[in-house]
Amino acid sequence: MDRPRVAIFDFACCEGCQLQIVNLEEELLDLIDNVEVVEWREAMSEQSREYDIAIIEGSITRPEDEKRLEIIRTRAKTLIALGACATIGGINKLKNNFEMSDVKKCVYGKSADMPHLETMPTKAVDEVVKVDYKIHGCPIDRKEFTYVIRCLLMGKKPEIPEWPVCVECKSKGNPCLWDYGQVCLGPIIRAGCGARCPSSGFRCFGCRGYIDDPNVNGAKDVIERYGLSVDALKAKMVLFGIGQGPTNA
Amino acid sequence: MRTVTIDKNAFRRFVDEIIKRQRVIGVCAKGDRFDFEQLESADQLRLDYDVTLQPPKKYFLPPVETLLTFEVGDGYKSVYDDTPFVLLGVHPYDMVALNQLDTLFTQDNYDTHYMKRRHNATIVACDVVSPSKNVFASSMGTATVKDGFDVLLTDIGNAFVMESGSKKGDRFIAKAQGAVDSSEKDLQARQKIQAENEKRLNNHKLKCEASYLPKLLERAYDHPVWEEKAKTCFSCGSCNLVCPTCYCFNVQDDVNWDFISGKRQRAWDGCLLDGFTKVAGEHEFRKKRADRFRHRLYRKCKYVPEKISSQIMSCVGCGRCVGACLPDIANPVKVYNRLVDDLGIK
Ligand code: SF4
Ligand code: SF4
Ligand code: SF4
Ligand code: SF4
Ligand code: SF4
Repeated sequence: MDRPRVAIFDFACCEGCQLQIVNLEEELLDLIDNVEVVEWREAMSEQSREYDIAIIEGSITRPEDEKRLEIIRTRAKTLIALGACATIGGINKLKNNFEMSDVKKCVYGKSADMPHLETMPTKAVDEVVKVDYKIHGCPIDRKEFTYVIRCLLMGKKPEIPEWPVCVECKSKGNPCLWDYGQVCLGPIIRAGCGARCPSSGFRCFGCRGYIDDPNVNGAKDVIERYGLSVDALKAKMVLFGIGQGPTNA
Repeated sequence: MRTVTIDKNAFRRFVDEIIKRQRVIGVCAKGDRFDFEQLESADQLRLDYDVTLQPPKKYFLPPVETLLTFEVGDGYKSVYDDTPFVLLGVHPYDMVALNQLDTLFTQDNYDTHYMKRRHNATIVACDVVSPSKNVFASSMGTATVKDGFDVLLTDIGNAFVMESGSKKGDRFIAKAQGAVDSSEKDLQARQKIQAENEKRLNNHKLKCEASYLPKLLERAYDHPVWEEKAKTCFSCGSCNLVCPTCYCFNVQDDVNWDFISGKRQRAWDGCLLDGFTKVAGEHEFRKKRADRFRHRLYRKCKYVPEKISSQIMSCVGCGRCVGACLPDIANPVKVYNRLVDDLGIK
């Protein structure tokens, strides 16, 4: 088969997810054998204008980024959002809690009004263009990434869990952290990470985004039963919970 | 088949001897809870436990297992787990659950993966010493168990009574240094403990005979309780995943980078999960939370007992789902009692 042409682009992010790809080790060779990487700033200098698969890392935080992303979309047959920044806006959505002018002043000080420093409320990739597949997590899971790519190469729909983190947590036999006073977001967050955080004793803070149909009534009921307030829950969700849309692709 | 008595020190030495020869899985402390784990020493064993976090089914139906490997043009090879092991400390309600799974996994399609592990296991059950907070096995008729185990242990104070329930059990007991045929007095002590357990493992009390539940449910399909409870259901499947009698699984293939070879795996699934009933064409026939919530409680006390013609229900009263459900709606007794209150016993 012709090797599909793949391009990887980064927007506002820490590039940690690309680093996960670089760190694939032996699987990186399998990947390179099966696709032709035509653009990838993190690992090569060539640039291209045509690609079968565009992989987008990072969230959209400036008007010019929106235009750049739209152009990428027109050139790509398939578009993948990579990592929490791209799939749900990620950490960058914290900024949406503030006025944009204040944000600019805080970051750029006196230069805040320079025209090239225009900013806007953070958007996830699918708030700007159509996304075909999402690879969740902050950072992404390497195994899940290569699985999705293999599925794409076979023309098969990857199976990304629609169920919450509790499923993986319970399969591992973990005691529930709620019983130990932690406000764990597991019941409303998409599984797929193998319940990474609760398995190490830390509550899930939601980096894989909500499941398709999170039960808000359930969440309210539980925080009341555990003697917490809705504000307490919101406070726990700031890192990844702001203005999130559905996370299914 | 023999019944012997062995004092606790001799029993500990006996377990250490088995550990030297074989994989022994027993109940250990896990923080302030308990779970099955591979033993390195008999000192880890805690037969006074209340309930384990996970039911013992995972040693026969693991959370994820590889069923076969395949290669295009070269067919497939089944993958089996073939190590003999001893499972030490299975409570009666969990033993009843395993007996049901044995029937289910041999009834329509003989499940070679499950049964290989089952044949490799020596199951040592044990009568309950400390009832858990949510146990209601007495209500379900599963507080004691009469068959299925290879050995049944009962703690009678300074010693264990060990009853063999199979040829495997006979061989197991024969190796126990210091075990003597149980005296009449020991057997009476055991009898007393079992009779007490049949009453006291009852922290949620069912208001009808368990065997009446299939008939009760016949009249309850459109009852408002399903909608009411399911309003706060997360569809998190915790109630399925901790249940000793939930056995649904999902099968998935993963293809290697050569695109001709790969493996087929199965993983636990749960009827409460969104997407559980999704079939080809994205059609989903139990899309509503309430329908899924109802399904589990029908399955436990109507569908499965009817399928395997069992007088004992498929909810064995372990109470795990009660503690695992964050919005506290999963308790089967609360739901069934509500139906008894509203619909009466006819
Ligand atoms: S999702 Fe997390 S790891 Fe990935 S780029 Fe964004 S901040 Fe970095
Ligand atoms: S610790 Fe979190 S993920 Fe695990 S069962 Fe509890 S709520 Fe769910
Ligand atoms: S447990 Fe939650 S926060 Fe942790 S990796 Fe998984 S989804 Fe992200
Ligand atoms: S009944 Fe409880 S444990 Fe079961 S899926 Fe609903 S919320 Fe989760
Ligand atoms: S339904 Fe609940 S109480 Fe009954 S056997 Fe399953 S987990 Fe135990």
